[in-house]
Formats: sequence, structure tokens, C-alpha cells
Amino acid sequence: MKSKDMSRRKFLALSTGAIAGTIFCPNLAFLKAAEPQGMKYAILPEGKREVIASNCAMCVNKCGILCEVVNGKLHKINPNKKHIKSRGMLCAKGNAGAAVPYDPNRLKTPLLRTGKRGKGQWKEISWDEAYKYVAKNLSDLKEKYKNRSSVAFASTEGFQEEFFYYLVNSFGSLNTVRHPTLCLSSNIQGWSSVYGVFPDADLKNAEYVIMLGSDRAQALITPDSVDFQRYKPKGQKLIVLDPRFTATAAKADRWYPVKPRTDQGFVLAMMNVIISENLYDKEFVETYTHGFDELAEMVKEYTPEWAEGKCEIPADDIRQIAREFAFHAPRSVIYPGRRSSFYTHEVYVRQTFAILSAICGCWDVPGGIVPKSSINLNSHNVMFPFFMDAQDRVDKVATGLIKDVVPDAVQCPMVGTGLPTDSCAFLSEKDGSWISFREAVLQDNPYPVRGFVCFKQNPVQGVVNTQKTLKMLDKMEFICVIDTQMSDTAWYADIVLPHATYLERWDPAHSLSGIWPIISFRQPVIEPMFKSKSMFEIAGGIIREMLKIPSLWNDIDPADLESFNKNIVEDILDKPVQEFIKHQVSKHPGAWEELLKEGFFTTDGGKARYGSTRNSEYRFKTKTGKIELFNERYKDKGLYPLPKFCEPEYRPKENEYRFLVGRTAWNTHSSTQNNPYLWEIQKENTVWINVGEAAKLGIAGGDRVRVKSKIGEQTLRAYVTEKIRPDCVFYVNGWNRKSPMLSRVYGHGASESEILDDVIDSISGSVCMHETFVTLQKV
Amino acid sequence: MAMNMENIRSLVRTNRDVPAIPYIAVGVVLLAIGLPAAAWVFIKGHETVYGVTRQVPWGLLISTYAYFAITSTGLAFIGGLGHAFGMREFVGMSRRIVLLAFIVLLAGFTQIGMELGHPFRLMYLMVLSPNFSAPIVWMGLFYTVELVILAVELLLVFNPSGTSHKLAAVVGFLALLVGVVAASNLGFVFGSLTARPFYHGIYFPAFLVASGIAGGSALLLVIYNIVYRLHVPGAYHRAMTTLGRLMGICIAVMVFLLAWKVATSLYTSPQGATEALVALTGGPLAVNFWVGEILLALVVPMALLVFGGFWNMKTMGMAGLVFLVGMFFTRFDFIIAGQLSPMREGLAGSGVETVNGLMQYTPAAGEWMIFALGLGLFFFLYFMSERYLILEDASH
Amino acid sequence: MKKRYAIVFDTRKCLNCKACTVACKIENGVPVGDDTYRLWVTEMPLQGTYPRLHQVFQPSQCQHCENAPCQKVCPTKATHTTPEGVVIVDYKKCILCKACMAACPYDARFVSEHHGSVEKCTMCMHRLEEGREPACVETCPSRVREFGDLNDPDSAVSRLLASRQYYRLKSEKNTRPRLYYLI
Ligand SMILES: Nc1nc2c(c(=O)[nH]1)N[C@H]1C(S)=C(S)[C@@H](COP(=O)(O)OP(=O)(O)OC[C@H]3O[C@@H](n4cnc5c(=O)[nH]c(N)nc54)[C@H](O)[C@@H]3O)O[C@H]1N2
Ligand SMILES: Nc1nc2c(c(=O)[nH]1)N[C@H]1C(S)=C(S)[C@@H](COP(=O)(O)OP(=O)(O)OC[C@H]3O[C@@H](n4cnc5c(=O)[nH]c(N)nc54)[C@H](O)[C@@H]3O)O[C@H]1N2
Ligand code: SF4
Ligand code: SF4
Ligand code: SF4
Ligand code: SF4
Ligand code: SF4
Ligand SMILES: [Mo]
Repeated sequence: MKSKDMSRRKFLALSTGAIAGTIFCPNLAFLKAAEPQGMKYAILPEGKREVIASNCAMCVNKCGILCEVVNGKLHKINPNKKHIKSRGMLCAKGNAGAAVPYDPNRLKTPLLRTGKRGKGQWKEISWDEAYKYVAKNLSDLKEKYKNRSSVAFASTEGFQEEFFYYLVNSFGSLNTVRHPTLCLSSNIQGWSSVYGVFPDADLKNAEYVIMLGSDRAQALITPDSVDFQRYKPKGQKLIVLDPRFTATAAKADRWYPVKPRTDQGFVLAMMNVIISENLYDKEFVETYTHGFDELAEMVKEYTPEWAEGKCEIPADDIRQIAREFAFHAPRSVIYPGRRSSFYTHEVYVRQTFAILSAICGCWDVPGGIVPKSSINLNSHNVMFPFFMDAQDRVDKVATGLIKDVVPDAVQCPMVGTGLPTDSCAFLSEKDGSWISFREAVLQDNPYPVRGFVCFKQNPVQGVVNTQKTLKMLDKMEFICVIDTQMSDTAWYADIVLPHATYLERWDPAHSLSGIWPIISFRQPVIEPMFKSKSMFEIAGGIIREMLKIPSLWNDIDPADLESFNKNIVEDILDKPVQEFIKHQVSKHPGAWEELLKEGFFTTDGGKARYGSTRNSEYRFKTKTGKIELFNERYKDKGLYPLPKFCEPEYRPKENEYRFLVGRTAWNTHSSTQNNPYLWEIQKENTVWINVGEAAKLGIAGGDRVRVKSKIGEQTLRAYVTEKIRPDCVFYVNGWNRKSPMLSRVYGHGASESEILDDVIDSISGSVCMHETFVTLQKV
Repeated sequence: MAMNMENIRSLVRTNRDVPAIPYIAVGVVLLAIGLPAAAWVFIKGHETVYGVTRQVPWGLLISTYAYFAITSTGLAFIGGLGHAFGMREFVGMSRRIVLLAFIVLLAGFTQIGMELGHPFRLMYLMVLSPNFSAPIVWMGLFYTVELVILAVELLLVFNPSGTSHKLAAVVGFLALLVGVVAASNLGFVFGSLTARPFYHGIYFPAFLVASGIAGGSALLLVIYNIVYRLHVPGAYHRAMTTLGRLMGICIAVMVFLLAWKVATSLYTSPQGATEALVALTGGPLAVNFWVGEILLALVVPMALLVFGGFWNMKTMGMAGLVFLVGMFFTRFDFIIAGQLSPMREGLAGSGVETVNGLMQYTPAAGEWMIFALGLGLFFFLYFMSERYLILEDASH
Repeated sequence: MKKRYAIVFDTRKCLNCKACTVACKIENGVPVGDDTYRLWVTEMPLQGTYPRLHQVFQPSQCQHCENAPCQKVCPTKATHTTPEGVVIVDYKKCILCKACMAACPYDARFVSEHHGSVEKCTMCMHRLEEGREPACVETCPSRVREFGDLNDPDSAVSRLLASRQYYRLKSEKNTRPRLYYLI
């Protein structure tokens, strides 16, 4: 009898399950068993079982997820098979996301610092107290320095950043600093200099792929990391250049342990071959490009033999690769990748990549390089008040920053090497340049910055030269960090606000541009745990308190305040956030319902979009309106109009190794290492040392090694391997954490930014993470 | 054979001449160590208390179980020789033999009982859904039967009004038979593991039977030396000598089997068997092997028997003692060695961690304490009987 | 018609990204711990010499042997095979004698304190009955695993095995795994 009602309950659980099943993947109905008994092996509790569609936020990719929620508790996160961008995959981090809301280490309630900074004495406070505290400190700083830009606002992309910027713009500081100059700004700059945009690569249809300086098997970017192997066309050839034998290299037809910093030479030599052997796409060059003759002239000197001497890749191989690349064009890809915070001349390197694909006509066609398309949203065109007391960004107006204040950068003497020495050539008004910003703050150049509000960013781990970041934080009179866990940066804050995780909140709609564009968003799959709140509520809460402080508004036209109150506070922040999202997608009938049901929305069936720029009339967003092989703007700015090979004067000394930066597939930057399911995959980081070098240094696998650069040192265990060039070492970011509330990784392994030198690429303002040299010593 | 108070009283007596107290004390101490451990296991669970792992799931407790159980079957065998095959010299010993066999088996049951996650499930599932292709089912069966037979034998040998030789002979023969079968089946529990070549072949069943008989004889040789304070009465000399010879022969057989096993492991070298052998002779188990298995279990006892002579009660007692110690290592190594070569290579990501290609296992404190429980039970029960029961029987 | 479930691996596509390992643990409530896992992704030894290096990543789990050593030695029939060929442990019948762990040539089993039993890969039985794929099959970026019915000639697994060469792990043990590896 017992067993009978057992099986009855099983069927109940199943009936809801069966529905779930159809939502998950109807195509597999054939699997349904006649006499179900599997539930007795499941750990599913019985009860109400729902499946809610949303999108992952464990890294930048926003993959589609279907959340299995039982009795209001998240049981499992499954991939959304129908999702156009993530193609139905969910990585280790995405799966481990199921543990995030229930992490005992997460921030539970607003915390106010009671002891000294970084000493970890906190007092739990209410949200009201928190809002008041933040508003008051903001206004105090504004009063004290008569300058709203005396408070800096740091953040990293993410849907909720939009609401963070409601706070930023309501206060009116111009000192905002975002992740791009730590990440991909030089890449965007380099490719845009040629095409006016930063395009994607169509790995799903390419016949020939050269991947240099990217690691798609571990550094996951959807859809590329899926198309990379799952949808790899039969016979596609993959050439990988990387000083490390990455998981990507393990998938390559050919791997070249290229000499670091010389990829440009390799590509220039390819162009030399392609042009001298007349293998380029004449018609395309004619119709679409500007400056081919100058290019042809320049690459004459860059013969494969010359390149072999630079990048240690045999001249014959370079010739062969060049011919094969041209042969398969336009279905040939030289992969743009994403992170380019590598070297001082990185913009020219990426510009070179872009030019190669241009002369072969691999542009805006299947299997080539394709400009991103996007599906438009309605923006709430809100007008924030114009504040008088707001000086321009420090990293823009500071004088002599680059040459004098970042002397490390001069290790590659820049005068006459195509790099500006006064200030960054192309500084993004919104993103800024993290390390020149920090440099300016450190010496009050040209004015003091004394407040720091940080959202979804962890500069203490993520910005090279940690000691300088800590010095910068020391200067601050007010630090507020909004995070989901006690990050290293939060640990040094005065007030820490617990943000609801991506599984507990509504995120605004966002147009994810690409070859397969979609509209994405997030909806709560569970109730917010503890006292955490969404950025929409937090921004509203702080702004309402700010409005109670008249002095905060004394530098604007009263009429502005009126409309601010009406259009922003009443019409947006006081309304349910769903209204905000509905308005965003209102121009697409059915989009809102689609978002709720599928987690994403797309038009014409999510087909790939090619060819929008493939007509002779099209004006590219460059000075000449053409694809610029010869860059006119660079010429105007005194930069190299053509990407001639740039070589640093600096040579590593005998016992020095170049430090490389990279990823593992199971962690995101410094976000996820403390997640139990990811921690058990890798409990601490280890330093990659080439077998031969290790032997010389008497280092065996597992030994503890001191890695010393000129700005700091770290100690961790050695991973002795053939997988890395003798002249390089590598360990991954995210360990030796400073926050004890990241209990699993606190003090374990080594931090990268503690040893990485703050070198700048002064064209894009990007940091250069591969310009640091270290020595190794067994301890 | 109804027992009235009269008979009972004629069995019970306080033997001041037997040096039982110190051994009872030892038993009590060991129990005091073991019982808390048992409680600890029930509260904290096996996984936390024991040192066994995913790759080496069988550890000290399985080997101590084998140690006790096989010695017990050896004793039963000897007892059987007395009754069934009329080796009269043993008959005078039958009370001690049967009692020892029974108590040692109980000690063994404490070990397996604490090893199994759900011993009681085993009991009813053996009846409800037995899998007859699984040697463990037979193991359970044979040792339960063995326990019952020994219980009956106890009744018989302690029946003062004497029992018919026929019945005693039949039961004795059964005990001997089941003992042999149980011991060799225990070998099959391991031999049936296709994955673990080291355990394969007829070798282990035979080895277990031989070593069991040797163990039984050894225990008797020791016990008589203890009980009679190293002055074993003449009446027992012939029996002791026979036990010594029996032990000698068995050790010889063991040496032969061992040599044979080593040879086959080396030359037919099935993957896994050789590693195990390397582990034994040169690896983590080397000390156990050379000192324990070879020196203590084979060389020394054999030497003592041969050179000390089979009429020297003391040296035979010593030989028995040394053998019993060595045997402990033999059982341990046998169980562990077979599991040391991993089923998957210890590569990154495999989840398997090896040292020189081998798994690691060292018993946890908890496991040692459970062993103390079994040992303590033996000392306590047996020497209580020595003190309060009449174990020489004049009836024959 | 009777079903014969199988999983086919194309290790050439494996990124060693560990998505499957985490998916399995959470789907099946396998606790965090170095000894408790149903599947693993092994980094096979580096082949070749620098700079011509090669490496294979090999995911695996219980092989669902048709001739299962673990099942033979299980005294209580706790370990049994479903009509579809899924080798599975009845947690209520397991006495934790660990014979199956000693018997498994693939080290696929471990003690689960949660179930008070030995456990291992169940092919996500509970998902199958809802018409869903095993968690490890579904989550993979590269679709290294295909799951399906060998008795259905049109199933993905049947087609792969018909069209390509394959091997099975430790075939010499005559366990006849239901997990196949494409060459
Ligand atoms: N040494 C070193 N530095 C690097 C890199 C490197 O490889 N090595 N990589 C560079 C690159 S490419 C980039 S893009 C940057 C990225 O650098 P960051 O943007 O700083 O990324 P993370 O280090 O992951 O830190 C993100 C923080 O946001 C928090 N967080 C996560 N989810 C949420 C949420 O929903 N709400 C809120 N409020 N907070 C959340 C996390 O807990 C974490 O503290 O790092 C750059 N810096
Ligand atoms: N799992 C996971 N995925 C992620 C992220 C994550 O944190 N975790 N972060 C996301 C983000 S924000 C970014 S920006 C991307 C970054 O991903 P990618 O753009 O692929 O960049 P990385 O993986 O940081 O570095 C790529 C490779 O460049 C190699 N390299 C270093 N120096 C040189 C050189 O001189 N020449 C050549 N040819 N190669 C060199 C390094 O060894 C490394 O393997 O990953 C994204 N995806
Ligand atoms: S790549 Fe992984 S972590 Fe990033 S969004 Fe996709 S599933 Fe989430
Ligand atoms: S998920 Fe797929 S690619 Fe990733 S490790 Fe598992 S099998 Fe390999
Ligand atoms: S792999 Fe191991 S556990 Fe799985 S069926 Fe085969 S023997 Fe049993
Ligand atoms: S441990 Fe459980 S499943 Fe394994 S053999 Fe014993 S009873 Fe069977
Ligand atoms: S089939 Fe299910 S249980 Fe088996 S390994 Fe895959 S996820 Fe785990
Ligand atoms: Mo990035």
C-alpha cells in the first residue's frame, strides 16, 4: 500500500513535469517511458514545479536559461535550446549559477563600516538609513568641492547598469569609468579605424579560421564558442597562434607558439604574400576601400622571411597560410576576438587584422567578418538636468598624464612610434581610461576626486597594479560598493549595498547586436533572498533621498528640477519596472509576451543578417566613408595612418619571463571562484612554467614559486608543462582574494593585478596586461 | 539432555588457577575504546569516521573481519577433525576449540557489522531479494549457518550428561565442511572481481583455508600456554604436537601457494596484478609484506616449530603467537593490495589521485577503534569463560 | 518497441569546459566533494613534442554495461538494469557493502550520504521520462554527447554508430558498455 501511494505521488510530480518536459524540449517526446519510475532517482522535491525563462549573468554573454523552480526554490538552471545566441548551451558557470542566490557568503543586508577601512567591522543597517547615508555623502562632497565630478562612478556592463546610470546622471558627475579600457577598447578602436564599426566573425560558415590572441574554448563568447566546435563546417581549417597551448589550440589543425607581441608581423607578412602574389580581392578593394596603394607600398618590406625572424613562425608556413587564407576568401576569418588589453601598440595590431580581411573581401558575407546588426528598442529619451558644478573628466583634462605619470609606458619609447604622449587619442566620454583616470585621481590632477561609487565591478582585482588602486581608495572620503557578494573592493568600502542577483530581479530589455541579433532581458525566477534589492529600487531610493536635500539642486535651473521630478522620478522610478521594459519593446508587437515566455525576442525567425553594407553607395563611418586601409583620422592626429610594425625597445633580461593573461572556462574574472561548484573544479591558481625553464630553475610541479615583477610579488604553486613558451609564464586571474567573506579563495593562490604593471596604450586608453616581465624563484 | 540446575552448577566454577583477570581487563579496556567508536559511527556516519575512499572502498574492517572469520573456521575445522575423524587427541580440547571458534566468529561479526552501511537491511534482503550470483550472499549464508552449527556444538560439548558420539561426529563434520566452504567462498568474494586481477584464481580460496587452519592451531597453541602458565599438562602434549604439525604443514602449503601466486602475477602479468605485486614487494605495503607476511607469518613460526621441535610446548606457543600477529598483516595486505592499482589513471580532471601510479590508503583512527571493539569482545568473552566455566571436560 | 539507450561521445569536440560536470552535480544533487561525482572529464596525456602538441579531453561516466560486474556482485539486487538498459541502484535496497565499487572497472560509483547508498550515473532517468535529455548531454556547448535509442535506426546514436568508427572503454573486460566513443 505504501508503494502504491508512492507511485501515485510520483505521477503527480510527473504530470507537472511532463508539461515542463514539453517546454524544455518537445522534440524528445519519444523518450517518455510507459511506466515511469525515474522520479525515485531524482532529487526533485514534490510540489509545484515551474519553468521560467530568463538569461544568465554569470559572465557577459547573457545565454538563455530555463529555470526549474520547485515550491519557489530554484532547483536547476537549464539551457534554453531555442536561444539564438547561446544555441542551447549552458557552461559550468551558468550551471553553478543555481547556487548563487543561496550562497551563505553573499551580501544579505546593507552594511555600514564601523572600524577602520578594510578591517571588516560592519554594522547592519536598514535600507532607509543606507539611502540617507549615500545621499548625504554625495551632497556633502558636492558642497565641499563645488564639483559633482569629485565623486567617481565605476561600473561594468550588465543590464542593470542602465539603472545605475540613472543614479549617476541624477547626481551629474562626469567621472564615470567602465570596463572597456581593461578589456576590448583597443580592439574596437583598431577594427573601427578600418570599418567604422567593431564586427563579428561568422565561425558557423567560415572555411578557414585564424585565431590569434583569443581562446574560444575557454574564454567563452556565445555564439562563437558553440559554433566553434558544435557547428564547425566540415573541412573548416583552424590555425591558432598563442604562446600557450590552450584548449583552443588543442582543437586547432595547426598551433603556433608565436613569440608574444609579434602577431602583427605575421599578418603583415601574410599581406605581403597576398598582395605580391595578386591573391587579394581586386574588385572589393576597388569598390569599397581607401588607400590600397599606400598599403601595398608599406607591406613590401614585410617578407615572410622577415616575419619568421620576429614571430618565430617558419616563412614557408606563413606563405602557405596566406595562400590558403586568400584561397578560401571570402569565407576566411581572421578572428577579431574580444579582449585586446595586451600591448602598447595593440590598436595597430587589431587594425592590421581588419585590413587583412578587407583586402581579401572577407566582409559582410557568410563565413567572413560581418558587421553587427541589431533590433531597435524604444529608449525613454529622458533629459537629466544640466548641472553647473560638474567639471570635465579628470583623465581628459589632466595634463601630461601619459608621458610623465605613466613612466612604465615609456619602456616602449613612444615618441615617433605612433603613440600619443600627452593624453589618450581616443578617449570615450562614458568609459574613460581606467589607469589614466586612477593616475589623475592619485595626484589631484587637475582637481580632487574624493568619492567612489562602484557597481558590479571589482577594481581591486580587475585593474592592474592593485597597490595603486588601494592608494586611490585611501584618498576617498566616501566609498559605496553595490555588489552581490563581499568583493575585494567592497571590503574597503564605507557602505556596501546588497544587490539582488540576476535570478531575483527584473532587468531592462537590451538589444544584443550581432550576426544573429536578439532582444534580451531578465525576469525574477525566485523572490529576492534576504534584504537584497534591484538597482532600479536602489537608484530610486537614493534619488528620492537626494531630492530631500535642497542644496544638491542649487546649481540647476528650477525648471529642470521640475521636469526631472516629473519625467524621471514619477514617470519611471515610481512606476513598476515592468512598465519600463514594456515601453522599451512596445514597437514590436508581441515582444513582451515573447520575452516572458522564451526569455528573448527576435525578428524574422532569428536568421543571420548579411550584406547590409555590401553596396557601393554605402557610407562607412570613417572619414572617407570607405573601408580605410589608410586611416585619415590617424593621419590628422599624428598617428600611423598605416599599421607599420611596432617594436618595443624594451627587451626582457636574461632571467625575465613575459607574463600572460588568459581565462579558464569555469570562472569569470574575479566573480565566481567562491562558488562551491566552481571552486571544486579549481581550488587555487597555479603558474604555468615551461618544462625546460623549470628544470633550469630547479622547480618541480607543485613547488611553491615566488613570481616577482617590478611592482609586486606573489607566491603560488608551479604547473610545469610543455604547454607554454619558454620565455613566458601564465596564471589566471581571481585568486589570493583580500575579502575574507570570499571564504574559499581568501588568501589562496596568487592575484594577477598585484604583479601586473600599469602600462597604457595611449591611443585607446586601454591597459596593457602583457607588458609585464617577472622573475621566478622557488621558495 | 535436559539441563537442570544440578548440571548447570556442575559447569560453572571460579577457576582461580587460570590467569584470566589481566586478559579480561585488557578486554574491558579495548571495549572501552571500541564502543564509543561504534557510537561515533552511528552519529557521524561511516564516511566521516572511516578512512576508506571511492577508489579503495574496502579497508581495515574487511580485513579484520576476514582475520577473525577465517581463524574461526580454522578452529571449527580442527574441532571437526576431533569429532568426525576421531582424532581423539583433540576431543579433550573440544570445549575450548568450539568456544573459541564461536567467540572469534562473534568478534568477526562485529567488524562486518560495523563495515556494512545497513547490516540489518542485509538480513531481511538476503531473504526477500537475494542475488545468488553474488558471493556476498553466500558469505552471509555460510557464516550464519556456521554460527548456528557452532551454537549447537556448544550445547553438545557442554552437555555434562555426555552426548552420543554419532551426533557429535555429524555436527563436527558439518562444522568442518561449512568452515572450509565459508573460508574458500570468502576468497571468492574477492576472486569474483573481474576488475581486480590480483584477487583472481584458485589461489586465494586455497590460501585462506590453509591459513585458517594454521591460525586455528596457532590460537590454540597460544591459549593453552596462557591458561596453564606455560606449563601445558602432559595430557595435552600429543594434541599440542599434532596442532604444531598441522600448523607447520599449513604454513608450508601457504609458502607454496604464495610462491605460485607471485610467479603467475609476474609471468602471466594481467594488467593490475603486477602493480599490486609491486605495491606489496616494493611499494607502500613493502614493510607489511616483508616483515609481516613473510617474516612473522611464515619464516619465524616455521623456524620456531622446526628448530624448537614439535615437543617444545613453549616454542610452539611462541610460534603460534608470532604467526597470529603476522597473519594480521597478511589479511590486511591481501585486501588492500588488490585495490591499490586504480581503475582509471590519475590524470588531471579524472578525479583520481595517485602516488607513483598507485592509490593510497591508511586506516583512520575510527577503523582501529572498531578493530579494538572486536578484539576486546574476544578477550572479554573468552577469558570470562575461562574464569567461570569448566573448559576441561573429563566426559571423554 | 523495446528501447536500448546509449550515449555516443565525440571527444574531438570536447573543450574541457566542465559544464557537464556541474550540470550533473546540480541536476542530481551530488554533493560538492572530491570523491563524489558521477562524471569526469579527463585531460589525456599530451601527445607529440613541442610545438607539435596534441591533447584529447575525455569525458566519461558509468558505462551502463550490458554485462555489468557491479550488478553481478550486488547481494541484494539493489543494482539492477532497467528494460531500456540503464544500470541503476535502488537506494532503498543498498546495504553499502561496496562490492560494486570494488567490482566496477571504471570507478564510476561512490557512496552517497544523501541516499544512504552507493550511487552513480542514472542516465538522468527522471528526465528521460519527461522527454528530456540527460543534463550532461543537453548543457554541452559542443554537443560532445549524443543520447538515444539503439533500437531506433533513425536515432542520432544509431546514425552516428552506423556512419563512423568507434571504440568502447576497457572492451577487454567484456563489460559491453552502452557508452561509445567515436574515432
Ligand atoms: N588581472 C586581470 N585583470 C583583468 C582581467 C584579467 O584577465 N586579469 N580581465 C579584464 C577584463 S577583459 C574585464 S572585462 C574586466 C572585468 O572586471 P570586472 O568588471 O571587475 O569583473 P569581475 O572581476 O568579475 O568583478 C565583477 C564584480 O561584480 C560583482 N557582480 C556579479 N554579478 C553582479 C550583479 O548582478 N550585481 C552586482 N551589483 N554585482 C555583481 C561580482 O561579485 C564582482 O565583484 O577585468 C579586466 N581586468
Ligand atoms: N570562462 C570565461 N569566459 C569569458 C570570460 C571569463 O572571465 N571566463 N571573460 C569574458 C571577457 S570579459 C572577455 S574580454 C573575453 C576574453 O577572451 P579572449 O578575447 O579570448 O582573451 P583571453 O582569453 O583573455 O586571452 C586570449 C589568449 O591570448 C593569448 N596571448 C597572450 N599574448 C599573446 C600574443 O602576444 N599573441 C597571441 N597570439 N596570443 C597571446 C593568451 O595566452 C590567451 O590564451 O572572455 C570572455 N569570456
Ligand atoms: S557563457 Fe556561461 S556564464 Fe556566460 S552567460 Fe553563458 S552560460 Fe552564463
Ligand atoms: S560540456 Fe561538453 S565540452 Fe564541456 S567538458 Fe563536458 S563534454 Fe566537454
Ligand atoms: S560502469 Fe561500473 S557501475 Fe556502470 S555499469 Fe559498468 S560496472 Fe556498473
Ligand atoms: S553497495 Fe549497495 S549496490 Fe553496491 S553491491 Fe552492495 S548492496 Fe549492491
Ligand atoms: S546522464 Fe545524468 S546522471 Fe549520468 S552523468 Fe549525465 S547528467 Fe549525470
Ligand atoms: Mo572583458
